[in-house]
Amino acid sequence: MSKLNSGQEAPKIGVYVCHCGGNISDHVEIDKVVEQAGGLANVAVARENSFMCSDPGQEMIIEDIEAGKVNRIVVASCAPALHEATFRGAITRAGMNPYLYEHANIREQVSWVHHGPGATDKAAALVAAAVGKAGELEPLEPIRVEAEAHATVIGGGVAGMSAARDLAAQGLNVALVEKSPFLGGQVSQLDKTFPSGEAAGELLSALAAQVLHDDRITVYTCSELAEYSGYVGSFKLKLQRTPPSGQDQERLSRIGDASPGQFLPFVGVWADQPPEASEEVELTSGAVVLATGFEHYTPPQGEYGYGDLAEVITLPELIQIMAGETGGGEQLVVNGKTVNSLALIHCVGSRQIPGIHQPAPGGTLNEHCSRVCCTASLQAACELREKFPETSVFELYRDIRTYGRGQEDYYLNAGRAGVVFARFAPEAPPRIEAGGEDSALTVTVPDQLLAGEELALGVDLVVLAVGMEPRDNQGLVDKMKLPVGADRFLLEVHPKLRPVELPAAGIYLAGTCQAPMDTSEVANAAGAAAAKAGAILSAGQVELDPFVAQIDQAKCVGSGACVEACLSDGAIEMIDTPDGKRAQVNPALCMGCGVCVAVCEQDAIELNGWTLGQYEAMVDAIVAQTAGQGAKA
Amino acid sequence: MPSNETQKFDSLVLGGGIAGLAAALDLADAGYQVAVLERDATIGGQMIRLSKVFPTLDCASCITTPKMAAAAHHPNITLFTMCRLEGAQRVDGKLEARVTQLPRYVDPDKCIGCRQCEYECPVMVDDHEQGGFTARKAIYIPFSNAIPQLALIDREHCMMCGKCSSVCPTGAVDQLQQEQEFVIQAETMVLSTGFELMTDFPQRAYGAPGLGDNVISSLQMERLLAPHGPYMRVLRPGDGKEPESIAFVQCAGSRDLQLGKPYCSRVCCMYAIKQAMLLSGALPLADLTIYYMDIRAFGKNYEQFFQNAKAMGVEFVKAKPVIAGNNPDGSVVLRYEDQEGGTGAVSREHDLVVMSLAMLPAFSPEEIVPVSAADDGFVMVPQPKLAPTLTEAAGIFTCGVAAGPKDIVDSIAEAGAAALGAAKYMAAKRGGQAAA
Repeated sequence: MSKLNSGQEAPKIGVYVCHCGGNISDHVEIDKVVEQAGGLANVAVARENSFMCSDPGQEMIIEDIEAGKVNRIVVASCAPALHEATFRGAITRAGMNPYLYEHANIREQVSWVHHGPGATDKAAALVAAAVGKAGELEPLEPIRVEAEAHATVIGGGVAGMSAARDLAAQGLNVALVEKSPFLGGQVSQLDKTFPSGEAAGELLSALAAQVLHDDRITVYTCSELAEYSGYVGSFKLKLQRTPPSGQDQERLSRIGDASPGQFLPFVGVWADQPPEASEEVELTSGAVVLATGFEHYTPPQGEYGYGDLAEVITLPELIQIMAGETGGGEQLVVNGKTVNSLALIHCVGSRQIPGIHQPAPGGTLNEHCSRVCCTASLQAACELREKFPETSVFELYRDIRTYGRGQEDYYLNAGRAGVVFARFAPEAPPRIEAGGEDSALTVTVPDQLLAGEELALGVDLVVLAVGMEPRDNQGLVDKMKLPVGADRFLLEVHPKLRPVELPAAGIYLAGTCQAPMDTSEVANAAGAAAAKAGAILSAGQVELDPFVAQIDQAKCVGSGACVEACLSDGAIEMIDTPDGKRAQVNPALCMGCGVCVAVCEQDAIELNGWTLGQYEAMVDAIVAQTAGQGAKA
Repeated sequence: MPSNETQKFDSLVLGGGIAGLAAALDLADAGYQVAVLERDATIGGQMIRLSKVFPTLDCASCITTPKMAAAAHHPNITLFTMCRLEGAQRVDGKLEARVTQLPRYVDPDKCIGCRQCEYECPVMVDDHEQGGFTARKAIYIPFSNAIPQLALIDREHCMMCGKCSSVCPTGAVDQLQQEQEFVIQAETMVLSTGFELMTDFPQRAYGAPGLGDNVISSLQMERLLAPHGPYMRVLRPGDGKEPESIAFVQCAGSRDLQLGKPYCSRVCCMYAIKQAMLLSGALPLADLTIYYMDIRAFGKNYEQFFQNAKAMGVEFVKAKPVIAGNNPDGSVVLRYEDQEGGTGAVSREHDLVVMSLAMLPAFSPEEIVPVSAADDGFVMVPQPKLAPTLTEAAGIFTCGVAAGPKDIVDSIAEAGAAALGAAKYMAAKRGGQAAA
């Protein structure tokens, strides 16, 4: 019953079972799986290797193909998300059609979740199913689509501007989309950056100048993504440009006689005149880079006295106050009040622990570390001690995370400058109360560095080092169907294998929309995203997997049920033919979900690579295998 | 294969670890011709020698080997192993790199990687690929997923008995092989030379030559936990006992002005937590203690990983212990100030102690390439905020630990940025056109 492949040759299936260096072989008896596979119909060879994905493992497959021993391949190893592409690549190198390949997942679906003899039986059944399907496989060709030499970057902070610059440098045209009238994002809210001490304004001015003067880059301020469709190589985007209102208008009022490209401290780089009326912009773009950034955590009223006590402020607020201070006095003065002593509290809205910290109204906790606040706090502490030698500074922390190059110096210098450190446990955070002997506030905290002895600090100012939170991107997430992690940041495919990619081809992540990062790390992430997008778009053509619906026009009666059921707009449409209306698939838009197959009463639709015949073969194989196991037992 | 003629490429990547491979693959995918120069006998760097990687606990091989294989088979990438860069400078707009290829004493064109020589060789030598805990032969393939799969002879230990030659089916053994010098010409260069661990920690810290058999380095612990480790299970090397109590000493050499390494090595907290987690699976009854200064779990999902380890019962003690001695039963005495309990200086014994040693640069650029090292010894990057991969020399970029300690995730992201930097440089030279 097996179909013949393009070579008109009967299937000769090679089965290759991976030990995964113990990950699989600790729980699955590999030799039994290999032995059983060797006895299945159409199987020509069955082999094992400690790491099939290694070069020797791949070579084993290639040698068998080149020797003419096999013409279909089954690898039983980890999840296909990890290495299906690896093995298809090896098969291609051996000169065979890469789609004559089937993957059996015996790690995530077997050895990591089952132990004992059942694990081996299940592995054998999954391998049998894969062999059953392999016998029915037919060679397929990837879908090739034209790639527009244009990329759209969403977000005009450091990540977005860096990505736009780096994409343009590869010869692509770029649209840079920014919600506000200003470029610069959150870095605009900084004064000096660590560890180099460069002024944020200078960094942003330099970067914005590159972006604004590049003919290939078009900047759309006051713009948001309104509509999104299409696929890698040809995304159709509609931007909505809206005249500024609210906070943006307030910020615009501070422009004065600034000219485009100029940096305004704590506002941003003014890009151009905002639109006077709403307008729409339509773009066709080969790739989209998401650089939507982060928001600072806003403490709820009462957390460490925030909102209740005027002397409790956040670190970004302190940075803005400090930027206006040239020093000279002996003490810092805030709101007309002399600050003899202040305390910085770390991990506010970061490293929250279920059961200890109060969730936000939506039930969320920020369990992540925000990565930059330790060094930012220490930088502020050092600057305070330098400018105002009579102001005492306390750092109340959990762990000091000055991990980056040059950052440890801030920790050392803070200690040398007389900053006093106290370490608190998450269960016993500092308590802030109004009033004190000679101070506006009293902070009480058990200090772990002093065996838990309780300190009572009289301070005039408390500064909360607030963490980073993912921006509320729900609109974008819904429109573009973006994956979001448990930490609510956008989720990459794999942190090491594909760190800046999303599952949907042609969409990339840059910067703090993915996770907290400092400016250097953002610049690297943006460069990495631009490199990936540039590599696919500069070729002019993109290849997509051929696992899409195919319609047998002879069976189709034009009921339109498939069009109604289709989850991807425009992937199936009705066309007029001499015989009446018939369905037609746009392969580039089809996601290969198979919903249309299920609703077609005529069985006129098949999914390439996942045909009904292939499913039947898999089910038959599993039934035969488990029946065999039952007989033995 | 090297020849005396100059070989021309678009880009030369120095170092074939994960950062170098990632950068090479990005450049090659963009259409550039790339040479990867590696001083070791295999590509893969430190990562291929690890057990599992945080915070996903993927096996290191599963992530590294496909990148190694992809680089080895990429039509735009040429690998040069056992090669030392003697010097590189720009001549008429092109970088000219003088390279010495060290002899393998095995003809790479003839060797088929069958390992017959290795089986036959009578000489046993400490196997550094296994932390020095087991032996290898004097002719050997470094490990089972090394690339290339070619044998080499360790001339220091070879007795020249000729057994390898007599069994080699292809006549590949060539004891007369010489160093070869050649020149690689490229427009751009990426320095991805990685790290090594501080090896002279005992001398630096204690003025003593060693710490005893049951004090091991973090990379040795990686081998004990690896799927094809030296013992195939976790035993302490001193006497083969299954350890009931294992301690990790963090910041051993890092963040230490006395030892001249004031910087944080950035990965040790996370790998110690990871190793403790893996040990709790391998030895469920063992007590696991991490002595730390600050726990620096700053990356994506790292803090959650740390909290999980705490919930699993790994003990975290804020202290910087010293090794106070060894007991006759092989256990190691740690002495430290009990900051949290306030009981002063206390001692505790552990069956096995793992030192989370400082990362040091594996390459010093001075006098070899026209870039300098910063005070910390890693490659100087003059624009750390907006162009962290740019060096002082136009067309030379850097990524990974070469530019300062970094974990794998950050190294790979930086490799992408370095590749992009090199591609931009070349596109600008070619009048704004990307590679063909």
